Amino acid sequence: MGFLDSIMGGKKKLKGPAPDRLFAMSTAYVTLGTSHGIQTKGAAGIVFQPLATADFESIAAEMEEILHGTGADTGTTITTTDDEHGYRWMVLHDDDIEDLVVGVNAVSDALAVGGYGDRVLAAVFAFGDSKGRPVYFIYNYKRGFWYPFVPAGKLQRDGERELQIKAIIDGELPIEAELERWFPLWGTPI
Amino acid sequence: MAVTKTSFARDPGLQSRMILTLFLLGALYVAFAAVLIGAGVKGPVILLICGGLALLQLTTSDKLALHAMGAREVTPQEAPELHAMIERLCIQADLPKPKIAVAQTNMPNAFALGRSQKSATVCATTGIMNMLSPAELEGVMAHELAHVKNRDVMIMTIASFFASVAAMILQFGFLFGGGGHGDDDDGPGMFAIIIMSLVVYVVSFVLMMALSRYREFVADRGAALVTGRPSALASALRKISSGMDRLPQQDLRVANELSAFFIASPKKVVAGIFATHPPMEQRIEKLMQYERQLQTGTLAAA
Repeated sequence: MGFLDSIMGGKKKLKGPAPDRLFAMSTAYVTLGTSHGIQTKGAAGIVFQPLATADFESIAAEMEEILHGTGADTGTTITTTDDEHGYRWMVLHDDDIEDLVVGVNAVSDALAVGGYGDRVLAAVFAFGDSKGRPVYFIYNYKRGFWYPFVPAGKLQRDGERELQIKAIIDGELPIEAELERWFPLWGTPI
Repeated sequence: MAVTKTSFARDPGLQSRMILTLFLLGALYVAFAAVLIGAGVKGPVILLICGGLALLQLTTSDKLALHAMGAREVTPQEAPELHAMIERLCIQADLPKPKIAVAQTNMPNAFALGRSQKSATVCATTGIMNMLSPAELEGVMAHELAHVKNRDVMIMTIASFFASVAAMILQFGFLFGGGGHGDDDDGPGMFAIIIMSLVVYVVSFVLMMALSRYREFVADRGAALVTGRPSALASALRKISSGMDRLPQQDLRVANELSAFFIASPKKVVAGIFATHPPMEQRIEKLMQYERQLQTGTLAAA
């Protein structure tokens, strides 16, 4: 953003969704599982701001119906919850991670087509390591990057483990380079 | 001068004090430069000294302001909801996470500080956190983050520095243009120089405040876009302003001091051109406009 642009308040404050690097997960999970024992828990969520507009509700309802329809083929099940911060989660369950990626992408696509692409906060994929500890991979739509999130107790995160995971998966998964943008998502419903 | 344009609520007491501080700070520059000129110091040296002072102000003002507000940085453990709310807004607005501070006061207010996006601090008072619903508070914090995103603190500091420089340039012109006819008349007296530069300063000060008001509208719009809930922010503004009217926060002694300084009551007359924030009704009206655009699908990021 140029100086003049910032003086004038700028024309464009919000970036649209970045180039789609969501699908990198449909191959990266192989490395995570075979070499590092980090396995999918068969769940992924997409979190977005529900808007109080008439067409938003109908788009959301339509989206859920479509997913229920395709879910009948792939075996993906879907639930919707609203969290305490006023954000809505669409949670997909499927043991096949590629189906999860496709399902999550269908949700964000439907929102984007409806003109609500800016409302999508993130997609979250739940994994667990060999010791059963949860490992989340969060995809930031605004920036088009992934980052790991390893909660360790109440509002604590295991920074060392997160950096380890970055080290082993960097290159296969486009990882957010700026660590200060590795925002946690506490209390995920997955 | 980091605080004025970023303080969220229109709080006449605090605001008048800040405007007075801002004004006196700037006037100090101008008078200081005038004295240096009068003492025969060379122009470049004066510019260097004043530039240095401005730089010092830019680097220390946020800490000073936090201290003045009695604010303290809070950890995610101390204020988990506030942290989680701001983290999500940062994702939406594509910002690095700022430092988060809380001031222990009943006055409902929030503000953003810091030169750059990376060194930013956002602060909320316990008063505003108690007064507003989560969605309303989210709107307020999104407004502050919009200030961070738009680099408003930096811009206003630069603008205020330019105002001082403008006054100084006038002083030079006055000296060289009017004082060149020998020593038999006394040339422009020191008093005349100071008066003249103060006039320039007052004009640029008013312009600066206008810029600040404009940037408030921009930040409101940014908050509406980031949260998708213009009405929540509008409702927050209404709560804050009505709360303000019912509970005067202005210390009686301060009110008297200010009335002595301003010719008319600071609240009524001075508010118009010197106010850093536009009237609450105008901001709410704009937000209602965004809500209508949102409902009809015409509120775009462009």
